[in-house]
This record gives sequence, C-alpha cells and structure tokens, in this order.
Amino acid sequence: MQYTVGSIAPIFLAPVIAFVINAFFGRKLPRNGDWLACLSVFISFVFSARIFGDFFFGQFATDFYIHKAFTWFDLSYGTHIFKVDMGIYLDNMGAIMLLMVSGVATLIHIFSTWYMDHDERHGRFFTFLPLFTSAMLGLVLSDNLFSLFIFWEIMGFCSYSLIGIYYEKEKAGDASLKAFMTTRVGDVFLLLGIVALWMVIGSVSYVDIYSAIAQGKFDGQMVLGISFATFTALCIFLGAMGKSAQFPLHVWLPDAMMGPTPGSALIHAATMVTAGVWVSLRMYPLMVLGDITWFIAVIGAITAFGAATIAMVQTDIKAVLAYSTLSQLGYMIIGVGVGSYNAAFMHVITHAFFKACLFLSAGSIIHSVHEQEMPKLGGLRKYLPYTHFAMMACTLAIAGIPLFSGFVSKDRILGDALYYGFMSGQNPLLAIVPILGFAGAGLTAFYMFRMMFLTFYGENRTHSHDDHGHGHAKKDAHGHDDHAHEIHHEHLDLRSNVPLLLLSIFTLGFWFSGNIVGQGFGNMFGAKNEWFKILVEAPKVEKFVDRQKQAFTSVDSREQVALPAASYHHQSGYAGPNPNDHKLHTAHVIGAWASIFIAFTGVFIAFLMYIRKSIKPLADTFPGTTALLKAKYNFDHFYIDVLIKQGLLGLNRFLAWLDMGIYDRYAIDGVASVNRVIFKASKWFDNVVIDAIGVDGTGVAVNLFNLVLRIVQSGKIQFYFIMLVMVLASYIWTLNI
Amino acid sequence: MVSLTSYLIISLFLFVLGLVVMIARKNIVAILLGIELILNAAALNFVAYSRYVTNNLDGHVFSLFIIVVAAAEAAVGLAIVIRFFQIKETTHIDEATQLRN
Amino acid sequence: MFLQVLFLLSAALTIGCGIAVAVTRNLMHSCVFLLGTLIGIAGLYATLGADFVAVTQIMVYVGGIVILMLFAVMLTGGKDFVSRAQNLLGLAPSMGNKWTFALGGLVGVVFILTNIKLMMSVAGTLPVKTINNELPSTVSEIGHLLVKDHVLAFELSSVLLLGALVGAAIIARPRKQ
Repeated sequence: MQYTVGSIAPIFLAPVIAFVINAFFGRKLPRNGDWLACLSVFISFVFSARIFGDFFFGQFATDFYIHKAFTWFDLSYGTHIFKVDMGIYLDNMGAIMLLMVSGVATLIHIFSTWYMDHDERHGRFFTFLPLFTSAMLGLVLSDNLFSLFIFWEIMGFCSYSLIGIYYEKEKAGDASLKAFMTTRVGDVFLLLGIVALWMVIGSVSYVDIYSAIAQGKFDGQMVLGISFATFTALCIFLGAMGKSAQFPLHVWLPDAMMGPTPGSALIHAATMVTAGVWVSLRMYPLMVLGDITWFIAVIGAITAFGAATIAMVQTDIKAVLAYSTLSQLGYMIIGVGVGSYNAAFMHVITHAFFKACLFLSAGSIIHSVHEQEMPKLGGLRKYLPYTHFAMMACTLAIAGIPLFSGFVSKDRILGDALYYGFMSGQNPLLAIVPILGFAGAGLTAFYMFRMMFLTFYGENRTHSHDDHGHGHAKKDAHGHDDHAHEIHHEHLDLRSNVPLLLLSIFTLGFWFSGNIVGQGFGNMFGAKNEWFKILVEAPKVEKFVDRQKQAFTSVDSREQVALPAASYHHQSGYAGPNPNDHKLHTAHVIGAWASIFIAFTGVFIAFLMYIRKSIKPLADTFPGTTALLKAKYNFDHFYIDVLIKQGLLGLNRFLAWLDMGIYDRYAIDGVASVNRVIFKASKWFDNVVIDAIGVDGTGVAVNLFNLVLRIVQSGKIQFYFIMLVMVLASYIWTLNI
Repeated sequence: MVSLTSYLIISLFLFVLGLVVMIARKNIVAILLGIELILNAAALNFVAYSRYVTNNLDGHVFSLFIIVVAAAEAAVGLAIVIRFFQIKETTHIDEATQLRN
Repeated sequence: MFLQVLFLLSAALTIGCGIAVAVTRNLMHSCVFLLGTLIGIAGLYATLGADFVAVTQIMVYVGGIVILMLFAVMLTGGKDFVSRAQNLLGLAPSMGNKWTFALGGLVGVVFILTNIKLMMSVAGTLPVKTINNELPSTVSEIGHLLVKDHVLAFELSSVLLLGALVGAAIIARPRKQ
C-alpha cells in the first residue's frame, strides 16, 4: 500500500466535515447529528489504524517518515528566506498518536451520546466535539509550527466552548474565560518563538528546523542577550506550559471540569493537554540545544508533586481527577526534561487511556447518582459494577501498580529521573526532580485509592446529607438506607459501559511493554518485542540535512533513510541518559523497587484511612495544611492580591494616567487631574479588586489575565490602532530585522 | 524618469495620513475616510511594484480587488454608522461601547 | 517629460489633499478633499501605465464611495459631537483636538521611522528592472487574467459584493419597536 494525500487527509477532514454539517444543519438531523460525529471520528480511527498497522508491522524502517508539503506562500527576497509550507509530517510517533487520539475520541463520542441524551445543549456539544478532535488530529499531522499553531488555537477555542457550554452558569462562564485567557499567555510566547524561528531559519517546518540544528545555524546567534536557541526553546516551552497546564499556568485546568464530563475527558485525556507535551517532544532537539532541559524537569517535578498534594484533599470526584491530570502531565514533562523521550511519550498514551476511562467512569457515576461530592457517595460498587470494574483497573494503572500501564511508563520516567538527579553528574540541586517525582507517585496512589474507597466502598451516603464522612455513621456497610434503591442498577449497555470497559482493557501494561517488575529486569517479552521502545526515539537531527521535500501529491516509497556520513552534531544540553553507563541500570533497579514500594504504601495508607478507619483522615490530623491545600495553595488569591495589587498597581496607574492625562482631553488643571486619576484608580480598585476579593473563595476566581486585559482592552478601538503600530514597531526595532 | 522610490514615498505618506486620521478623529465617518486612505496607499504600492519589479499585471488585478473590497467595506461600514446614528444619535466612536462588560 | 509633469501634478494633488483630509475641521470638506486625493491617485496610476485601474478608481471611488460618504455625512448631520460617555476616555470633540492629533502624529512618526528602517534593510535586494516608456493598454490582458488566473478571487469578490449589498440593506433598514 502506498501513501497518497488521499489516504492521510481523511483522518483530519472527516471530523471537520461532521463539524460543518452539524454546525449548519445539526438541528434538522435526527438526534442533532450525534451519529454523524461518531461516524466521522470512527472514519478517522479506521484510517489511523491502517497507518498505524503499516508502521507497527514493520512496513517501514523505524526512522522512516512521510513528509509531504507544498509552499503556501513564499516571501523570500534576496538572501532572506521567508516562506510558509503546509503539509503532512508523519512518523512512528505520529502514527501512534493518531491511533490513540482517534480511538479514545471515538469511545468518548459514543459515551457522550448516552451522557448528553436529552440535554438541551446536545446539538451544540456534538458540534464542538468533532471540531476539537479534528484540531488535535491536524496538530499531530502538521509538519510545521505554523499550522500547529493554527490547530492549537482552534483547540483553545473549542475547549473554551466546551467548558462554558452551560454558559448561563456563572462558574462555567468564568471557568471558560479563565481557560482561554490562561492558555493565551502561553500562546503569546509560542507565537513569539515561532516568529523568532522564522526570522533566523526562514521556515518553521520541523524538517527545516532539525536540519538547521544539525548544520549549526543557531550557533552564535544572540537575541536580547541570550543565545537564540535558548530563547526560542524557552518561548516554545512556555507555550507548551500554558497548554499542558504546568506550574505557574496550571490554574485553568482544574476549573475546566465545569463542562460536561465527556468534554472534560476529551480535554484531559486525548486532546488539549497532550498538545503541549507533543510540541515539547517535537521540539526536543531545540530544547536540548537551548539547554533548558533542567528547567523543564524542575517545572514538571513541581507540577507533579504540587498537584498531587492538592488532589489529596479535594472532595469533588472530578476535581480529584483534574488534579491527577495535572500531576500526570507533570510526569510527562519530567520525562521530557530528563531525556526520557520514549517514556514521556508512552506516558502520554497510557495516561490518555486511563484518564479518559476515569473521566467517563466519573461521568457514569454522576449521571446515575446526580452527585459528585465524594462524602455524599459511597458503596456504589453494588449498583455500578461495570463502572467499578473499569475505574478500578484505571486506578490501579494510575497508581503505578505493576502489570498495569501506568507503572510501565511512570517507572521509566522515574528511573531516568533518578539517574538524572543523582548519578548523571548534573547540578546536585536537581536531585529535587526525582525526590518530588517519587513523593508525587506515592501521593498519587494514596489519593486515587482514597477516591475509589470513598466512592465505591463503605456505606452508601447518597441521600444522608448530615453525614460528612467523618466515620461516625453506621458501621454496617451493608445496611441499606431507605433511599438507596433509588439508584438504578447498572446494566451492560453499548453506549454507557462498553466504552469504559474497552478503555480499561488498555490499562494493562503488556500492551505497551513487557516489564513486570521494572525497567531494569523482569522483562516478559525480550527487547525485540518492545515495540514502543523501538518505534519511538528522539529525532536524530542529522538525518534531516539535505533531504528533498516531497511533492504534496507524491506517492511515498519505502526506501530506508540513509544517514549522511559526516556528523553535524551540535549538542549543548543534557540529551538523556547515556545508555552505556552502568549506573543507569542501577538507577533503574532502584527506581523500580522504590516505585513499587511507594505505590503499595500509598494504597495501604488509603486503605487504613478509609476502609479500616484506623488512621484519622487528613482533615482531622493536619487542619492547617488541609486548609492550605483546599485553597489550592492560594494561587488564585496570589494572582489577584499580590500580582495585581502590588505589582500591577504602578502599571495600572501609569496606564490610567496615559489614558486620562494624555490621550484623553487634557485636564484643565494639573492638580485636579492628578487627583482625579488617583481617585478613579482607587475607585476602580474598590469596585473590581476589593469587592471581588471581599466575596468568598470561589467568587474571587476572577483571574490575573482577565484584569490585565481589562486595562489594556479598554474597548477603545483607536487605542488598539496605537497599540498595533507600537507593537509592530517594537518588534522590528528590538529584533532588528 | 520617475523612480520606484518616489511612488513608495507617496504611498508611505498616504498611509501615515490615514493612520493619523484613524487615531486623531473621533467621528466614525472620518475614521472610515482614514481607512480609505490606507487602502489606497496599499493599492498604489501594488501597482508601482508591478510596474517596476515584477513586470506583469498581477498587481493591477490585486488593486482592482482592493477597490472592490473597499467598496463593500464602505457600504457595510456606512450602513453600520447610519444604524448606529439611529440608535445613539451620535457618531462619536467613544459612544460605541455596547459590547463592553 | 509629459509623464514627469503628470506625476508631479498628481503627487502634489494627492499629498496636498491628503493633508487637508487629515486636518480640516469640517467633515464635509474632509470628504471633498478625499475626492482630490483619489483623483490624484488615479493620475499616479495613469503614470504607471495602469489605465484600467485608473479609470476604475475614478468610477468606483470618486463616483461611488465618496458620494456614499457624503450621503453618510449628511444623514448623520456632520455635527461636532461630543461624547457623553462617562468613562476613562471621556470628552474629546468629534473631529479631534490638538492632543489627539499629537498622539496620531507621534504614532505616524514612529511608523515612518520603522518603515524607513525596514526599507533600508531591503534596499538594493529588490531586482528593479529598467523599464521602457511604452504604456500599452492593459484592458484586454486584465480581462484575460481575471477569468483565467484569478477566476476564483473574481467569483468570490462577486459573492462578497452581493453579501455586502444585502448586509448593508439589512443593517441600515429602520425597524420598528
């Protein structure tokens, strides 16, 4: 079989067509066209499966890639190259990702037809769901950062629409704005990075970037006093941080659960958040060249640990899952940082399966019980046996129990992190990365089993609102209370349970690797069959030098890509563990035992605390810490109180002065004008900031970016003209084009 | 012979005049005038380049399209202005704040 | 020689009327000066050998758009409105005052400097061809181009014009409460 555009493009186009049809004619179709959305994504799945099959069964050499591109426009003049290519870039990693995204999205679509049944926003939901999926598929297929950025923004818009689908609820509206604005901060940096790459290389195609790295085009280029490679790598990683919700920009993801649960499943598992990890993996050679891998590892470690601690005290079942997503994304980013390229990508895949399944299970619970506060659940095992089974499998996976997929990928990341932190001769302070990583792994096991025990075990508290789960209720777990029979007993149903069960099959570890005990030893299959390890490897930049671009309509041949004899390597940063170092094996053995031990400890503590009740819950033992964690480390307050009030007060005064004193009609009297400025500024603060903060915790969730933009976006279009010209001019003068 | 640069300078001046009009005026109709100036500057650039650099007629076609788009833009823009005037009884741009908050 | 004279006259008309558009206090006069600018640009087109574009410019712009503008000015009264909006950007007169013009001028100067910097970096790299003085008619060739190379854009522009026509009619239609 040969590859033409016609055999790849439908992956991306089918959901787009479904989106267009549903957007314009959805109301006229039976069932608002949800079957069309399912069908389109299934078509993508079929095409992806074919491509994956070809790559998997060794049709191509392992470092084969398909790159078809056409020049969209070319503005080169003289020696300056400035062109935009559009095209398809597909390698092993892309094939795996396509299969995962389309497969998980298909199951989520099918589940949604059940979950959103009889919902008033049914049609709207099924308009955005295929668009979201197609944007992710397009992002995976795109061959350059520019088209990646386009899909990136479409995804941002779709997540905004899906989170705020019940826009009449104030919290949902705020959450969608917060998600949009927070990721926007990252997006600005990503765009800056793209433009900077354009300036120096003249193209933002992956292949051109790789070959420019190999040829050393970045050497000696400086911008704003730092090396150009560092600058662009940092900008692109900041973009990834916004999308993948890493530490300072993580505030949007927990709020994103305001949307319908299948939408959250799509955002958290298959699409939105993995895009950030995806772009960091694609630009991995640039990150290494720019020597920012230590920064990536530290950010990932902070996120992994911090989010895990917050997840310990959440009571909303979706909030626990949301923070666990944050934490797992932290592990992926650690994986990128410590050079564990293959394991980081494997964690993307395994995480997508179990997190989608967890969210769908949570959706199943919420739909059956109409309750998502864990203190008001409990004992659901009898009523929802299939959901219980699926969720248990996923919980075992995410907790890192051996034989399950989460263990396989997380153990690799942690083993490499251990090597990175203690044995690779890096800065000793970086030992914080494995320490936080292992601590977070233990917490993960604890909070996930806490969620399981509170939801499915113990007595049923569904309708006894006076009981807040402090253990003084009836000890008799089997004592039905009067209302328990109102929960419908679950039956096996194609649309509600089967997607969960199918997803839970892929939480078994042996689909991905043969590790039973750990990376260092105990391999079931032998190295020959470790397909993931064979297929996925960090891009070797040398092989991209002097490659001819294939015409967009060409048919791909299967020739082996020959590496040029001359080595062009320009490496400066830490590029992953050296496989010949004997210490690496030691690190892997220690890491494997440590992660097994830590996972079981976490599970055991959760068991003691919530089943045996021989340890008091955290809230009783450490009330102060719990309160801090419940307030999510006060990030929302920090952004408003400290950054806005202290840091931006000066800026705000300056802008207000600019607005009123200069741009506006000039004040007649200078003193009066100054007084008026201060008065207005303080009045503005009174109304917006202090009032907003005066309201209790959730009301304060007006965020930083909203406020900053309110200053800049005065709604005065002429002010925008000025800004436009000034920003353009500042770009040209600072970057010295 | 007249050089390319002289056309570019005229076009630059027209563009800047349009920019000044767009920023300094507060009347929506006047801002539309500024937009027309800017569009004309761009179209002039296209024709000048097509005579001096590319030597084909693509620039002419492009400026024709600019004229078409400008006509459409003027029609819709002025319709909006008139509608706005019917509602607000003013054409001051700072009054156009309905989408705020 | 004739071309030079035509160029100088057109350039003077364009720039002079352009400045007048920018600084006149009366919106009606501003519109009339725009007429002069557009005619000047049509003259510049003529010196560039773009006869068809020049004629279109005069017919569409001078005959159509400016008339439309004048109608709009007359329908909206053209008075010197003062905003009653009580917000941070408050009370500037409709046609601007010295401060708004100062700001506009500042932005303009920044723009010119930026543009000069950009053009300096490109200067010399553009393959400027020596051109002959013949100015053949372009009408038939543009016609061919419009229905061959640019046929998609041509059709799209017809859809755009239709949309603009319908849209303008719907927007400006007075409706009852």
